[in-house]
Amino acid sequence: MDLLEVKNISKNYGTGETVVHALKNADFSVPKGEFVAIVGESGSGKSTLLNMIGALDTPTSGKVFIDGKDIFSMKEHSLTVFRRRNIGFIFQSFNLIPELTVEQNMIFPVLLDYQKPDKKYLEELLTVLGLTERRSHLPSQLSGGQQQRAAIGRALIARPALILADEPTGNLDTQNTSEVMALLKEASRLYQQTIVMITHSQNIAQTADRILQVSDGVVTDLGRCRG
Amino acid sequence: MKSYLSLIPISAKIHRRQNRMTLLCIIFAVFMVTAIFSMAEIGIRMEQLRLSDKHEDFSFLESLTGTAMGQTLLMTAIAMFLLVLIAGILMISSSINSSVSQRTQFFGMMRCIGMSRQQIIRFVCLESLNWCKTAIPIGLLSGILMSWILSAALRFLVGEEFSNIPLFNISGIGIVSGILVGIITVLLAARTPAKHAASVSPIAAVSGNSEKTKTSFSSVHTGFLKIETALGIHHAAAAKKNLVLMAGSFALSIILFLSFSVLIDFVDHLMPQSAAASDLDISSSDGSNSIDCALRQTLANMDGVKQVYGRRSSFDVAAGLDGDTALSGAVDLVSFDDFDLKALRKDGTLCRGSNLSKVFGDSKYVLATWDQNSSLDIGDSVIVGNEQLTIAGLLNYDPFSENGLAGGKITLITSDETFARLTGIFDYSLMLIQTDSDVTDEDIAAIRRVVEENGYTMTDKRDQRTSGTYLAFVVCIYAFLGIITLVAVLNISNSISMSVSSRIKQYGSMRAVGMDGRQLFKMILAEAFTYAFGGCVMGCAVGLPFSKIMYDFLITAHFPYASWALPVKPLAVIVLFVIATAVFAAYFPAKGIRTVSIAETINEL
Repeated sequence: MDLLEVKNISKNYGTGETVVHALKNADFSVPKGEFVAIVGESGSGKSTLLNMIGALDTPTSGKVFIDGKDIFSMKEHSLTVFRRRNIGFIFQSFNLIPELTVEQNMIFPVLLDYQKPDKKYLEELLTVLGLTERRSHLPSQLSGGQQQRAAIGRALIARPALILADEPTGNLDTQNTSEVMALLKEASRLYQQTIVMITHSQNIAQTADRILQVSDGVVTDLGRCRG
Repeated sequence: MKSYLSLIPISAKIHRRQNRMTLLCIIFAVFMVTAIFSMAEIGIRMEQLRLSDKHEDFSFLESLTGTAMGQTLLMTAIAMFLLVLIAGILMISSSINSSVSQRTQFFGMMRCIGMSRQQIIRFVCLESLNWCKTAIPIGLLSGILMSWILSAALRFLVGEEFSNIPLFNISGIGIVSGILVGIITVLLAARTPAKHAASVSPIAAVSGNSEKTKTSFSSVHTGFLKIETALGIHHAAAAKKNLVLMAGSFALSIILFLSFSVLIDFVDHLMPQSAAASDLDISSSDGSNSIDCALRQTLANMDGVKQVYGRRSSFDVAAGLDGDTALSGAVDLVSFDDFDLKALRKDGTLCRGSNLSKVFGDSKYVLATWDQNSSLDIGDSVIVGNEQLTIAGLLNYDPFSENGLAGGKITLITSDETFARLTGIFDYSLMLIQTDSDVTDEDIAAIRRVVEENGYTMTDKRDQRTSGTYLAFVVCIYAFLGIITLVAVLNISNSISMSVSSRIKQYGSMRAVGMDGRQLFKMILAEAFTYAFGGCVMGCAVGLPFSKIMYDFLITAHFPYASWALPVKPLAVIVLFVIATAVFAAYFPAKGIRTVSIAETINEL
């Protein structure tokens, strides 16, 4: 069953002569549990595509279905709640909240839902992410790799069906990159989560189940790469 | 581009939206000063004209500095003016400061490509002066326009002594002071932000906004609060300097509000407006109760007469206080008819707990004059003649004495009927008339004829009515207060809006991970309320003692019966104002963020 369906998505910026077609009729689907890498040059439209999938921006035309739900037909509030519960975001620049500790940052989406975090799951995540010792630290007291692991924890805490990662290893060194990638794949396997990740690195892309290439706003499926 | 300074107008064009608030602040400062000084000049000219008509060798300055009241007014005016000026400087300064701190990266880049510290200081100062180019003329024009509107309002709505006020006066003092205040406040206000901009390290250009790289060492304590509320409070409380400045903005407007309330009280005491103020007074030549009560009906039927009411009096009547049946004391008795008694309630002259309704008609209840040294209480009994009367209410001062103090003397106010029963006197010692607003000189002459035919004297007091001046004063004070409030609201909402823009990226990531619009608003509201609460505490801690000092200085010193009490009504208004401002200040930035897509906010900077 497809968890994510992208139907003919286009995004234009500007009007008239200055119009920029950032995304042209993107059309693809991702089954549940698949790990998809999106590759492409800078300015090719990768981030625009990811922002549309995560409903961080609205497309000029086309539709996105997550778990069978047309996300752009939802009202703002329901969309926010849907995103909070079903989509986990990981950004290149981590985007942790500087005044919240690692643990608070991780449980933030659950707190926004006025729910109590699942303590057992939190401990499990902290252990898997290697952040148990750092749970009370502020982001500014952590290394880049640790910050990105905390951001992964935040993306996983609500057990979302879909994780969207925009160059999660872009700001990390080689060792941290392989650690973060291993964690993402582990999560995908353990919690049956679908991951869509943007990367510049061909090596990282090769470790995904499937690669999508974006070039001048056109999305091409490069096919499966691991068994 | 001729020099690096040519960048100023280019950058001003691009940042037009962000600069709008700074421009508005300068316009307001110039507007206020121009309007105030223009009105003051008109006022001084009129007063000079009026007084020089009376005394040929009169100098206005002499009267202003020579008399105690003149000095008091002058000092109060200077204090108020300084407060407004400080508010203006704070406002413009915080606005320029925010505009500078939002462009840390820009200044870093300028330093990177070779701009010296001195050049950056010059750049920021000239940039601020560049705003003056548009803001000062707008401020001057609106200030002059305001003075024209006020003059027209005084001339056509208030009339009386203002009926000769010039309509289209252009005040040189107003214009010069407006320009000076605009330039001086902007230069003073730009100094600190300019130094701040010059101290930006070139590294800020490459590492992003330096504010962002600052380490935050305090974490949020959520406790029993919801996460968005806890974060909002933390945003306000974490930046101590900003908290003090923002709370200071609230506090300053609270202090100004409390001070202005005292000014309104002062005008109330200076020109008491009684519902029973008379236009014509008729008295018997010998001061005794000899005005025939039948005259009242005759006068009431005459043209131009709105209301006739009379008073009877009996002085030093033997009386016994506190159950003294030997009647060893003495009281004065004065009768008020129903109209006069009702006016006491309208004027707010009755002390708390008074029950006026018991006094009407033939009753055993009376009112008594009172001051702080008086031992009388509501419910006390007084024996007059062979009757025991109960005090149903107290007046908060003695309207029959010069200084408003009872000075140990007891004056009882009774209804007409009670007075007649007690004394057997039916004729009046004083008859008072309120005339219609359209009364003619012929009507007055006819009344005078009737009065004088009967052998009484009539005093025409219409010229002494102060309701027009009172209205003008109160309207001016409220207008001033309104402008200050508006400026405070704009300043606070501007600062909160700036604080929001500095965290726009953070708010973007919060929205991305699931914060909805309502939670975002609550978070900004919590921040605004933290400033507001701090401001209320600071404002009341300084404002209440200041209000007491001003009250003692302005009112108690001249009207000894008046004493300062906790200004409950102004405080209630302040609390409402603070809540409304905080909601207003939080609503628009929250709405603004929601209209921008999350992707756009995350990618900002």
